[in-house]
Amino acid sequence: MKIFNSIKWRLQIWYGLILVVVLAGFGITAYQLDRNRQFRQIDDELHHRVNLLANALRRPPPRGGNDNRPPPGQPPRGQDFDGAPSDNPPQGQFPDGEPPPQRNRPLPEFHLPSEDAHFFEASDPHGFYFIITSRDNKEIARSTNQPENTVLFEPGRYYAGQINRVDNLPENAYHPQKTVNFDSYREVDNVLPSGERICVGCSVAPELKELRLTALKLTGVGGVILFFGLAGGGWLVSRAIKPINEISATAVKISAGDLSQRINVAEAESELGQLAAVLNSTFARLETAFAQQKQFASDAAHELRTPISVILTQTQTALNRERDAASYKQTVEACQRAAQRMRKLIESLLALARFDAGQEILKRLPFDFSKTIADCAELVQPLADERGVKISIAAKPMEIIGDSERLAQVVTNLLTNAIQYNNPDGEVRAKLEAQGDLAVLTIADTGQGIAAENLPRVFGRFFRADAARTGAGNAGLGLAISKAIVEAHGGTIEVASGENVGTTFTVRLPLG
Amino acid sequence: MRILIVEDEPDLLASLAQALREEGYAVDTADNGDDGLFNAEGTDYDAIILDVMLPGMDGWEILKRLRKTKKTPVLMLTARDQTCDRVKGLDTGADDYVVKPFDLEEVFARLRAIIRRSANQTTNVIEIGEVKIDTAARHVFFKDKPVELTAREYSLVEFMALHRGEVVTRTQLYEHLFDENESSLSNLLDVHVSNVRKKLGAEFIATRRGHGYCIE
Repeated sequence: MKIFNSIKWRLQIWYGLILVVVLAGFGITAYQLDRNRQFRQIDDELHHRVNLLANALRRPPPRGGNDNRPPPGQPPRGQDFDGAPSDNPPQGQFPDGEPPPQRNRPLPEFHLPSEDAHFFEASDPHGFYFIITSRDNKEIARSTNQPENTVLFEPGRYYAGQINRVDNLPENAYHPQKTVNFDSYREVDNVLPSGERICVGCSVAPELKELRLTALKLTGVGGVILFFGLAGGGWLVSRAIKPINEISATAVKISAGDLSQRINVAEAESELGQLAAVLNSTFARLETAFAQQKQFASDAAHELRTPISVILTQTQTALNRERDAASYKQTVEACQRAAQRMRKLIESLLALARFDAGQEILKRLPFDFSKTIADCAELVQPLADERGVKISIAAKPMEIIGDSERLAQVVTNLLTNAIQYNNPDGEVRAKLEAQGDLAVLTIADTGQGIAAENLPRVFGRFFRADAARTGAGNAGLGLAISKAIVEAHGGTIEVASGENVGTTFTVRLPLG
Repeated sequence: MRILIVEDEPDLLASLAQALREEGYAVDTADNGDDGLFNAEGTDYDAIILDVMLPGMDGWEILKRLRKTKKTPVLMLTARDQTCDRVKGLDTGADDYVVKPFDLEEVFARLRAIIRRSANQTTNVIEIGEVKIDTAARHVFFKDKPVELTAREYSLVEFMALHRGEVVTRTQLYEHLFDENESSLSNLLDVHVSNVRKKLGAEFIATRRGHGYCIE
């Protein structure tokens, strides 16, 4: 069901549905309005003819000789021909279809004036027709063109409940076509106050035809609008979705391993542009992290290659031929040195990994930091003697809380570096002092210093000042580990260096 | 055959040198870049094994400077095995590459190959009259029978064979057969030449008086 999961298609479908509903509502309303207008016109025509017919109905002279006929063109007033309005049967007095009581009266005469005759001409496409019955349901007159089987002209049917005044026709005086036989006729049925029924009907076939055409036109126009609407909508949706597709295509490439890919951010201000920018910066960070990780793994592997080479070469040489015990001993010693070096490297790597993961558990015990420094200085003294470097320490007793072994590792590392990178007969000065709530340890050497471009990388992993091993086992991880230890204690470590002036490391640790 | 090894890891340098000496090479060593370049420029080595990461001058720099004066075949030892490193090495003028950690056998084979190539020899087997020299197995056959030679004698034969048609001076032979630590007696070379002639026929090595020796 991929199509229903696609945002594009879901949007398209919803958009299409809404468009169809709107168009259908609009079309139906337009059709209804047109239909109502047409039928109102027809109804006007019908009512006009009812009036004509009512006027053409000549009643016999009333007993008082008073000709109460209304002037032509005017509907009869609301009174009986004998001037007794109360004579009208009130509405609802007679059950439907029950004829009112018979009154023996003469039938009114009907004479359609010749000037009105054209209203009922057979040549009229509407073919108006009529039938007039007396109140006792006798036919007074009917047109010749009346179709068969119209509802109103069922013999004997009498609309007792619908005695209406011609000029005040309520809605239900109209009888739109309701039966199958009757579907293209519209008729109006009126009962005059005097009891005569005048029914006028006409064919609405032309109107219906026209309405069908209108419906067809509306449907056609609606269809065209729907088509262009959907096409335009699809285009808009595609346009709106395109950046998402780009983002997803880029993400796919990145997940396939090409971290250098970036989303092309054309519209930086739009929501998607912002999203793309955020994703791009995430990708950049990912790439950097991956590159660092890769570099780290590569460096670690590289550091392991040399000791492994030593072991391989030593053992292969030793095994090439029979040798004396001293020679084997030499080989074993060389292998041991290589193994120690690998162990040291692996321990450093593991320590770094633990610090990175925040898993290194540090002791939190108070101890005298100055004593630690003195111990470390003692430890590196042989190396200093070997290089002819003088170590001087200025440290007052100062208690700090932390892991004394780990911090001793930092101090030893800094002192060893200071000795190793020093000039012969150089000096290493270690100073511990309190500054505010910080214990500040500075270890300065008088060596060649570190080139300015290398300073930012000093605490990086596998950094070595001269790009080569300066001593077996120095993998360039010491300062990285020192930094991790100091920072795990909530402290900071900094370096300052001037070429041929010397390098100074400053460690700041919180006091107490 | 005289080889220079430039490598700063002492245990690796020692065992490589020992193994190559046991293979019959004369081996000089240097444990830093500056000494390495000094040696490489001062002596006509048959090949140089050069580590990339060195204190002082690094392997690339040594190679670049050496190529200005000498075409000595160079086998690089590197701990980096990325393509860009190999390309850089080969472009700078290295003849071949061995990535650490390596097997000694591979180093030997590559060393033989670069020495052979520098002498325009394409195969392991050199045939000179009735003498056949298999440089891979370090065996010499005379009239299709294997001949027992000492390591030094073999080196002499191989060096002369690789420089076939050239007059090889005594100084050259001393330089290529003995390393800097050997206090070689001046007549030691004559002893070796004489022994080779006994084993491979007197006419195998011709003497050019006042110039040196030659294999036609």
